[in-house]
Amino acid sequence: MSAIDFLLINLQMVLVLGLSPLIVGVIRRVKAHLQCRHGASVFQPYADLAKLFRKEPVISTTASWIFPATPYILFSSTLAASLLVPTIIAPMPLNFAGNIIALVYLLALGTFFLMLAGLDAGSAFGGMGSSREAIVASLTEPALILSLFAVALTAGSANISAIVYKTAILQGIVLDPPPHLMALVALFIITLAETGRVPVDNPATHLELTMIHEAMILEYSGRYLALVEWAAGMKLMIFLTLLANIFAPWGIATTLSPSALGLGLLVFVGKVVGLAVVVGVFECMFAKLRLFRVTELLGAAFILSLLALVFFYILRV
Amino acid sequence: MPTLPINLGSYLVNLCSALLLLTCFAIVAQRRLMACVDLFALQSVFLAVTATLVAYLTGIHHIYLAAVLTIAIKAVILPRILKKIVRQLNVQREVSMYVNIPTGLLICGGLVILAFFITQPIVHLGFLLTQDSLAIALAIVLIGFFIMVSRLKAVTQVIGFLVIENGLFLAATAAAYGMPLIVELGIFFDVLVAGLIVGIYTHQIQEAFGSVDTSRLKALKE
Amino acid sequence: MIWPIILLIATPFLIGVSGLVVRHRQTLDVLHCVQAGIMVVSSLLLVDEVSVSGPVSFFYFLHVDAISAWFDLVIGIVAGTGTLYAVGYVGEQYDRGHVSLKRFRQFFMLFDLYLGVMLLAVNVENLGIMWIAIEGATLSAALLIGFERSKGALEAGWKFVILSSVGIALALFGTILVYYSSEQLLGITEEALHWAKLHEVGDQLDPSVMKIAFLFILVGYGTKAGLVPMHTWLPDAHGEAPTPVSAMLSANMLTMAIYAILRFKILTDQSVGTEFTGPLLLGFGFFSVALSSIVLLLQEDFKRLLAFSSIEHIGIALIGFGLGGLGVFGGLWHLLNHALAKSAAFYGAGLVLITHEHKFIARVPGLLRENPAAGVALFVAGLVLAGMPPFGLFVSELTIAANAMAMAPAISYGFLVVLTVAFATLLFQILRMVLGVPLGTQISTVGPRCRAFSTAAIAVNLGALIFLGLHVPDGLHNLIGAILPFFHAEGEYF
Repeated sequence: MSAIDFLLINLQMVLVLGLSPLIVGVIRRVKAHLQCRHGASVFQPYADLAKLFRKEPVISTTASWIFPATPYILFSSTLAASLLVPTIIAPMPLNFAGNIIALVYLLALGTFFLMLAGLDAGSAFGGMGSSREAIVASLTEPALILSLFAVALTAGSANISAIVYKTAILQGIVLDPPPHLMALVALFIITLAETGRVPVDNPATHLELTMIHEAMILEYSGRYLALVEWAAGMKLMIFLTLLANIFAPWGIATTLSPSALGLGLLVFVGKVVGLAVVVGVFECMFAKLRLFRVTELLGAAFILSLLALVFFYILRV
Repeated sequence: MPTLPINLGSYLVNLCSALLLLTCFAIVAQRRLMACVDLFALQSVFLAVTATLVAYLTGIHHIYLAAVLTIAIKAVILPRILKKIVRQLNVQREVSMYVNIPTGLLICGGLVILAFFITQPIVHLGFLLTQDSLAIALAIVLIGFFIMVSRLKAVTQVIGFLVIENGLFLAATAAAYGMPLIVELGIFFDVLVAGLIVGIYTHQIQEAFGSVDTSRLKALKE
Repeated sequence: MIWPIILLIATPFLIGVSGLVVRHRQTLDVLHCVQAGIMVVSSLLLVDEVSVSGPVSFFYFLHVDAISAWFDLVIGIVAGTGTLYAVGYVGEQYDRGHVSLKRFRQFFMLFDLYLGVMLLAVNVENLGIMWIAIEGATLSAALLIGFERSKGALEAGWKFVILSSVGIALALFGTILVYYSSEQLLGITEEALHWAKLHEVGDQLDPSVMKIAFLFILVGYGTKAGLVPMHTWLPDAHGEAPTPVSAMLSANMLTMAIYAILRFKILTDQSVGTEFTGPLLLGFGFFSVALSSIVLLLQEDFKRLLAFSSIEHIGIALIGFGLGGLGVFGGLWHLLNHALAKSAAFYGAGLVLITHEHKFIARVPGLLRENPAAGVALFVAGLVLAGMPPFGLFVSELTIAANAMAMAPAISYGFLVVLTVAFATLLFQILRMVLGVPLGTQISTVGPRCRAFSTAAIAVNLGALIFLGLHVPDGLHNLIGAILPFFHAEGEYF
């Protein structure tokens, strides 16, 4: 691995770590704006993280080693996953390390430990959150894999970097609209579900009837909470990056020249912030679904991604 | 002559037909009647865009007229009539259905596959801009059919019928470059009248039965 | 000579539109009697014209070849007597105060429109416009079926609208597919839907497209023809519609739907060969006959009884067309005689409905004594419909059975079995009504005007049936001779 590769990896890491609180802040700001509130600054999540890191964590006496270990596992697995997704340059240096399946399961690893931790703390809410998360996760996982596969099939590779690279050098024309469109809609629904956004979960409430993600992390405090929150922000960022770069990789750098990288960075930030605004608007337009209805929404995502796959098999083979 | 490259043109037509299909799925997954009507109007707008694209790419001018009529009749007039009916009837949601939503979506997925299998042997024959449009059109027809049989409320059954019409129009435009003008005008007229007649019927059924739940219409059987 | 066809189609439209301005009941009656006369006379003249000097065209819009002329004959005569009967029947409702003058006028406007578009459908050159006309017939029929606005009528009307709309949408898809295939040969012009042009290039149409198209057409128009299993609207609509409308649905609309199927069958056969369409028609026809022959026995409502009998007879005709050869002659002859007999039976049933004000078979015995006009109509038409010699339906059923025996004995055996069942069940039900001793319950009397009009209508239909049973006019003989080559059928008939 050359020095440039090493540099790129570190750049990407810094980018993801540094940008993800901003994305969370943007979404909150958009929601506040649409709800006619003034709202906190978009940089508020940075201040929150800084504050949490300074506080002392409190751990329940019934908790086992899983509870303190989970934030680290979650944070590191999410960060690792984020390095598989190309952000500003298409062939990622680490692309040999894993493909779609690695990405999905790195994310699933974090979710799995978070569910365990929710149960581990011994509070009633944690268990409830975990069981709900299990329902949602078991429905989103297959849909996520299928929708990514549908795109992978048209690109002829299961490697995300390769998919993005191939789409990008085709001058921005995704040659196969129907499957891509369906996969896009499916992936958007999955994004909302996986990152605990409104029709599935409400990130802004601690109402026991509705919360899922917040219920699982209710017992966390101090730097543990900071890590979990940061990881959640990164996960959101990963999904938005996937949406932006798989379906619209315009502007991404395909060579190593500084100008291409600079343009790639600008375009990337623009796209992700834009998507964050869309998510924020979406959250304001729709009410949270009842838990039973969530299965209908996720079922729709699953069927759309299945169809995207089927489209490919029937028509293109 | 069209200045758009034919590749990009067919890409756009394909994209629009895919959007039409997506709105079909949205209608299947939607319980609120008003939202169903809105989705139908949206679908008609996509249809009109497709027709405009085809007209532009092929240089067949009367398809523009069809696009305008689509907007006027299917995106404005009929949704208005339907919304008026929904408001009068005071039913906002469809609580019970013959098939629940996930199963319904799954069945619709199956219908799409079926449509592709049916049209597969014949897509290579036409002057198609895209190879998918005919199959998507048939899929929309079949899904409209499914909406009609799976829903209980008269209004959603009508939406199913109109979705079928949209599928047919997509077939006529994207696959056959539009029917002859006189035929197309006649079809529009018939659709409009059908919408009116169904409106009249819904009204009378509501008055006679006190509900638009068509599952109550079961006096006549063997 | 072009005016018979113009008159035949234009009259109902013009007189229907005149209903907008004519506000006098008497004038409407007179106008409709004129319309009935023009329809019968011009359809006869048209048949004569076409059988003697070949097809008649009117610009590129109407094209009356032998097939169209045959269906003009069926629909024209029955529409004529139906108009006459409607004047009596709806007039009686008006006299009794069941309908207002406004509703009376509305009825006739819709009724004329309905007849007009059906006649248009069987004569237009363009298959797309044929679809539009058939859809027009569906929509006007939808309003006519729900005309009485009772719960039953609304339910039947709703079912009809929904099912027929779906059916007709499928038929449109089939039509689009035919166009899709033909524009490869004829270019993107209106001509690519003209039947005569299509017929010329029929053997070059792509077989796989035509196969799929024909399936859609068959299911689509088959819904309108009331083929099992798409028949569920039919008994309800026939049972609940005002009786003149029931008669027109049964005698004309089903026939029109068969016409549409036949046109596409000819095209498909040219491209694919009869091995494809034949078995399909046979299958649908056979199931229709089989189901209805049994269900006939279960009916307690005499209008529904006649409705199921229509399903049966349309099925028989379809078997004839499916067999090909002389079966085509059988099918055509069957359609003509069935239309005459079934409308006569409905006319009689309508009179019973007026006097007894209910539709129970079991509660109207002894009609021959109690209500002779209705009794005779039901009795004679019942005998015809059951397939008694010497009437036309006996001839056609015999031809079809004999043809089936020559081609595929197994079909023939099955056909004869279901036919026997249908014979027994229908005759049993009809005889329960017309024979026996009247219950002696209080019945209302029919007004003189209604009596006169309906007797006239019944007399024309029964007269035509008896005439056709005893003698085949040369014109019809020639016409059938001109139709058979379309189906590549030849042989000695009569």
